[in-house]
Amino acid sequence: MDTQKDQVTIELNDTRLEARQGQMLIEVADANGVSIPRFCYHKKLSVSANCRMCLVEVENAPKMLPACATPVTDGMKAWTKSPKAIAAQKSVMEFLLINHPLDCPVCDQGGECDLQEMALGYGGDTSRYTEGKRIIKEKDYGSLVSTEMSRCIHCTRCVRFGVEIAGIPEIGGTGRGDHMQIGTYVQKALSSELSGNIIDLCPVGALLSKPFLFSARSWELKSVPGVAPHDAVGSNIQIQTRNGKVMRVIPQENEAVNEIWISDRDRFSYLALDSEDRVTQPMVRNSDGQLVETDWQSALEAAVNGMKMVASTDGGGALGALASPSSTTEEFYLLQKLMRGLGSNSVDHRLRQQDFSGQSDQIAPQLGTTLQQIEQQNAVLIVGSDIQREQPLLSHRIRKAALSGAAVSTVNPDGIEFNFPLSGEVVTDQLTPALSAIARAMVDMGMGGDLSGLSALVADANVEPAHQAVAESLIGGEKAMVLMGEIAYRDQNQAVIYALTGAIASMSGATFSVLTEGANALGGLLAGAVPHRDTADATVDSVGMDVASMVDMAPKGLLLMGIEAESDLAAGPAAADAIRKSEFVVSLSTFADSVTMGKSDVILPLAAFTESSGTFVNAEGEWQSFGGAVAPKGEARPGWKILRVMGTMANLDGFDYNSSEDVLSEVRGLCDQAETEKWSWSALSDLGDASSCTVASTPIYQVDSLVRRSEPLQQTPLAHAGQATTGGAE
Amino acid sequence: MNMLKKIIRTWTLSELLKGLSVTGRYLFRKKFTLNYPEEKAPQSPRFRGLHALRRYPDGEERCIACKLCEAVCPAMAITIEAAPRDEDAPEINGVGRSRNYGNRRTTKYELDLFKCIFCGYCEEACPVEAIVETRVYEYIFDGRGQNVMTKEALLRIGDEHEPQLAADLEVDGRYR
Ligand code: SF4
Ligand code: SF4
Ligand code: SF4
Ligand code: FES
Repeated sequence: MDTQKDQVTIELNDTRLEARQGQMLIEVADANGVSIPRFCYHKKLSVSANCRMCLVEVENAPKMLPACATPVTDGMKAWTKSPKAIAAQKSVMEFLLINHPLDCPVCDQGGECDLQEMALGYGGDTSRYTEGKRIIKEKDYGSLVSTEMSRCIHCTRCVRFGVEIAGIPEIGGTGRGDHMQIGTYVQKALSSELSGNIIDLCPVGALLSKPFLFSARSWELKSVPGVAPHDAVGSNIQIQTRNGKVMRVIPQENEAVNEIWISDRDRFSYLALDSEDRVTQPMVRNSDGQLVETDWQSALEAAVNGMKMVASTDGGGALGALASPSSTTEEFYLLQKLMRGLGSNSVDHRLRQQDFSGQSDQIAPQLGTTLQQIEQQNAVLIVGSDIQREQPLLSHRIRKAALSGAAVSTVNPDGIEFNFPLSGEVVTDQLTPALSAIARAMVDMGMGGDLSGLSALVADANVEPAHQAVAESLIGGEKAMVLMGEIAYRDQNQAVIYALTGAIASMSGATFSVLTEGANALGGLLAGAVPHRDTADATVDSVGMDVASMVDMAPKGLLLMGIEAESDLAAGPAAADAIRKSEFVVSLSTFADSVTMGKSDVILPLAAFTESSGTFVNAEGEWQSFGGAVAPKGEARPGWKILRVMGTMANLDGFDYNSSEDVLSEVRGLCDQAETEKWSWSALSDLGDASSCTVASTPIYQVDSLVRRSEPLQQTPLAHAGQATTGGAE
Repeated sequence: MNMLKKIIRTWTLSELLKGLSVTGRYLFRKKFTLNYPEEKAPQSPRFRGLHALRRYPDGEERCIACKLCEAVCPAMAITIEAAPRDEDAPEINGVGRSRNYGNRRTTKYELDLFKCIFCGYCEEACPVEAIVETRVYEYIFDGRGQNVMTKEALLRIGDEHEPQLAADLEVDGRYR
C-alpha cells in the first residue's frame, strides 16, 4: 500500500503514544488498549460518525469531538475519561435510550449486546423520559435474519455493510430524526450470500439470527473453534453448543483467512445436522435384502469381509472408493491407504470433474498465493467461475482489489453477475475458443512462449477486441492472477482449458490459481485420494479409476464416504446407476439418500463436521485443524476412526493410530518432505472438443449434503435465483 | 464458712428449686407452642415457600423465558428451554391466532426442589414477576421424580394462589 507514513506523537489520557498521520483517534486508542465507547464505528466499515457515543475531549477544541472521525495530528492532546468527556458520553447514552424499548429480557442479544454493556457504564439508573416510545413495524428480511426495528439505534452499520462489503445496497435509512427507519426500501428478503454478517455487526438486538431465535442465551453457550466445510477458503468459525447440541455458528476473526466475515452457507449449514435422514446406526443388508440395524462390530466385519471377498475373487482393481471433497485430510489419507492396501488405486474425490485426460500433468488445485495477497493484485482474470457464489469470501478479496483499482475481467458463460466492477468481459458458453483467442492475442503481442501441443489451437483462434482487452490488462498488470474456477474445472474439455489458462498465466507472468469444489480438494490431493497420485504427489505404478471411469465401469466393490450420488456427482443419475450395478457397496454416510438406502450393503454412520476432529487444507495451502465440538449423533463415529478400524480388521499394516493427530502428523510429514511441484508445459496430444459447451456451476445452496438440508438457506432468494440447475442437482 | 454455705445449699435443694421456679413460672404463662397442624404460625408477605409461575389477568403466562432466574439460581435448580410461541399454543384470546404468537416463551420450565435452597433470588431476578415463592410450605413427594416441578405444576400452583400472591407483591412492591 502506501510507503512511509509520517509518524506523529499524541497524548491520550496523558500518555504519549506514537501514531500514523491521518489515523483516527479511535484506532490509536484501540491499538493501545484505551477503550472508547462506540456504536457506529467498525474497523471494517467506513466512518459515519452518527452515533456520537465516542465523544472525547480534545485540547483547544471548543466541543467534544467524535474519536472515530477525528484524525490525529502531531501534539494532539485528548482525554477519553475526563469529566467533560464522560458527561458527553452519558448524555449521548441518555438520548440513545429515549426510544430504545429496553426489552432486554426478551431480546436474544441480551448478554452480548453493546448497548447493554455501554448502558452499564454510561447509562443512568432511571429514565427522565416519561413520554411514549416510538414503535417501528417489524421488517421481513427473509429466512435468515429476524428484525425488531424498534430496537435499532440507527448506527447504519448494516447499511454500510450492504454497500461496502456485500456490494448490494439493499438496506437503507428513510426519514429523519425520530422518523428515521432502517429497512429494505421495498419489502424483500436479503439476497446477499454474506447477509448473515449483519447479525454480528448490529450492536443491538435489531437484527438477529432467525433460526436461532429464542433458543439459547449467550451465556449458556460453549464456543469451540472450527473450520467451515463448504468452500476452499476454510473460514474460521466458532461452533457454539449447549448441552451437547450445536446451537449456532458465528465467525472467528482471522485476518489471513476470513477477516471477520463468514458466508451464510458457513453460518446456517449447522441446521442440517438434525435432519431426519441422518444416519445414526450401523446397518447391514440381510439375506432378504432388508437393511437391519446392527452393532458396530458386525457392521465393520461385514464391510471388511465384503471388500476382501471382492478383492480376492476379482483382484484389488475391482474395488473403488469415492469420497466427498469436504472430507478431512485424515479421512482422505486413511481411505487411500486402505484402498491401496487392498490393492486398488481407484480412489477419487473430484466428484464434479468430468474430463480427467489431463490429470497427470496438472497440479493440485490451489491459489498459488495467499488470500490476503489477492487484494494487492492489479489485474485478475476469472476463467469459468461464479466466484461470488462458489467461494464467497475469496470473491470478497477480489472485490476489494477491484474497488481499489484492479482490472478484473472474466471469461464466463452468460448470466453470471458479480458485486464488483469488471474491466473486461468475455461472455461465451465455449471456453476453449475464448481462451485460445486470449492466448493468441498475447502471442501477437510478442509474449509467446513454447505452446507445444496448444499451438495449432491458438494459431487458429479468432481474436476479438474483448479478448485483446483482457490480454492487455493482464500483461499490463504488475501483479496479476488468472483464476480458474469450478465451471472451467468441471468442463468436458477441462484438460485443454487448464492448459490454455495456464499458458495465459505464464505468458503474462501471472499467478495461476485453480479453485474447485469442496472444502478440502487440496487436502484430498496431498493425501493421495486420487487415482493417479499417492500421498504427497508420489507417483503410482498403475493409474486407478477416476470418478468418470468408476461411473462408466461400476466397480464390483465400492466404498463411498459422504457421498450422495445423485446430487454430488457431475454424472448424477448415471452415477446412481453405477452404484446400483455394483456388487458390494459400503457407505460411510452422514445422511442417507435413496440411493444409499436402496443399494448399500453396509451403512456406517459418519460424524458430521461439528462432531469430528480433522484438518482442512485451504486454497492457499494453510493446514487448519479443528477438534470436535459435540459428540457424534447416535452411534455415528468420526471417519478416521471408522477407516482406522477397517484397516486393522483387513490386516493391513500401519493402522494403529491413537488419535487423528497421529494420522495428521504422518500425512504432514510425507507432504513436508515432498517438493512442491510447479505446473509446467506439456504437449497435449488430444485437443479435446473445442466446441463443447460449459454448464453452470453448482448453485450456492446445493453444493453439499449439509447446505441442501438447511431449511432456512433453501428459503432464501439466492437458493431460487434463476441459475440454471446442473445435471446432477435437483 | 464456705463449707457451711455449701452444705446448707445442698441439703435445702435451693438450686433445684431455683431451676424449677423458672419452669413453674412458664407453666402458668401463655403458651408459645402452636398446635400444628391445627394452628399455624403467621407468615410474612415475603415468605419463601413453594414456587409458582404466575399469569396475566388475561390468562397468558407471564414468563418470557429470559432465563435470568436460571442464571441467578445458586443451586442450579432451574432448567429452561425456550422457543417462539407456536400456533399450537392455547388460544387465549378467543378466536384466531393468539396475539402472543411468535413471542418468546418457555417450552420447558423445570425446578428441582431437592436442589433449591429457597433463597428467593429467582423471584428477585424475574423482570415480570413470573416466578414467585408462595406461602405454601406443606407439600410432600410420594414418588420419585416429583421433586422436579414442571411448568404445568408451577402454573397450577400460581393459579391456585394468585389472589394471595398479588396481594403479597402489592405489599412488597414499594420496597422494590
Ligand atoms: S439495524 Fe442494527 S446495525 Fe442496522 S442501523 Fe439499526 S442498530 Fe445499526
Ligand atoms: S429460591 Fe434460590 S435456589 Fe431456589 S430456585 Fe430460586 S434461586 Fe434457585
Ligand atoms: S421466570 Fe422470570 S426470570 Fe425466569 S425465565 Fe421466566 S421471566 Fe425470566
Ligand atoms: S462511534 Fe464515533 S460517532 Fe459513532
